[in-house]
Amino acid sequence: MERVILAAIVKVMETDPARLNRTTALVRDLNADSLALVEIVDIVEEGLAPRARPGFHIDDDDLDGLVTVGDAISYVLARL
Amino acid sequence: MPPATTTPSAESFAPPARDVGAPVRVALDLMGGDQAPEAVIDGALLALDELPAVSVTLVGPEQVARRLLADRGRSEACVIAPATQVIGMGEDPARAVRAKRDATVRVAAQLVRDGGADAMVSVGSTGATMAAALFTLGRLPGVTRPALAIDLPTPAGPVVLLDAGATVEAGPDLLAQYAVAGSAYARIRYGLPHPRVGLLSVGSERSKGDPLRKLAYDVLTGLAEAGLLVFIGNVEGHDAAGGPADVIVTDGFTGNVLLKGMEGAAAMVTTLLTGTILDPTPGPVTAGTVLPLLAEVSDRVGSAAMGGALLGVHGVVVIGHGSSSPRAVTGAIAQAVQLHRQDVLPAVARGLAALSGRSSLHAVTP
Repeated sequence: MERVILAAIVKVMETDPARLNRTTALVRDLNADSLALVEIVDIVEEGLAPRARPGFHIDDDDLDGLVTVGDAISYVLARL
Repeated sequence: MPPATTTPSAESFAPPARDVGAPVRVALDLMGGDQAPEAVIDGALLALDELPAVSVTLVGPEQVARRLLADRGRSEACVIAPATQVIGMGEDPARAVRAKRDATVRVAAQLVRDGGADAMVSVGSTGATMAAALFTLGRLPGVTRPALAIDLPTPAGPVVLLDAGATVEAGPDLLAQYAVAGSAYARIRYGLPHPRVGLLSVGSERSKGDPLRKLAYDVLTGLAEAGLLVFIGNVEGHDAAGGPADVIVTDGFTGNVLLKGMEGAAAMVTTLLTGTILDPTPGPVTAGTVLPLLAEVSDRVGSAAMGGALLGVHGVVVIGHGSSSPRAVTGAIAQAVQLHRQDVLPAVARGLAALSGRSSLHAVTP
């Protein structure tokens, strides 16, 4: 699961996986803008859909609260 | 930003070996645009009648597509790819594309991604088409945001304007991406060995412009010194109608304002000229001879200038004007076909790949 999230971030932000850890800030450290965040979430949802419970969805309104990579992982884990 | 680690390399965009005589398959968003679906279906049928070796897949509600084709006695003319959802012009593009998995633009992009189509065309929401292409096809290495490239048919030859509205805000690094992509695009599309790139500003002198333009000027100068493009400095709005540049680079906000201003000016001049020609006072010209010529020019501007290529994603994507007539839809389809046949995408990908390793670009981002 964590791998899917990290892969989505690496793909969208074109960043080195070695740069990422749970404290990496999506906006401050990776310069992710709102469209990039939505893009990451879209990939994560699609990637996790086969393993998630029916109706698994990341609410766009929750994106502002996902500051770090760790926030995103914890958020998704709680909803799978 | 370090170089990409998981995205495909530029080499993966080498032109595929294919039958050059095979029809180019275009996925067309049936429900996009102010006059959809009627103008879209009529434009599709016109394209099938006029363009050689083209097939059109209508992406939209199946029953609507079947009825439209049957009404025109062309039931078998197009393949239909069912899509039940439509994204309106007033919706937030990214969120709407995410929420509507069966949206026409999303299904059209999936067709391109999965090999069911060679290109996609929409005359609906620019933002939604851009988001669908970005989410589904993915971006080329080195691309932060795609740009909409418009071919302006000036008397001196085509001028490529980008970004015409795909991304409203831009920094100098984004303008650098547009410059490289636009240069590669013009080189392949118009056979220009060294396209001249100009930066849109409020004066030709280096000192003119806001902080973004001044920073971008320095970045583009650096790219020119590195041999990645030919930069001729600042250009002004009137140069979009023909001037020293083959490619004009600007942010999506300014580019869209310029484009819409040109459209308005063209419509105003056409109306004034028409009124003058129709004046009953006898003159050296007659309405019968001049009006058809005027209509031809107007049609040329309307169909050719208003479709734009989305540069920076893994596929051929053409976005037309929301108010597209059937003729303009045909023009957008023709443009998509040409872009596919000319293999513009690999050239743009190679140019952008050369840019992606230049970390200095990001050092000057405000």
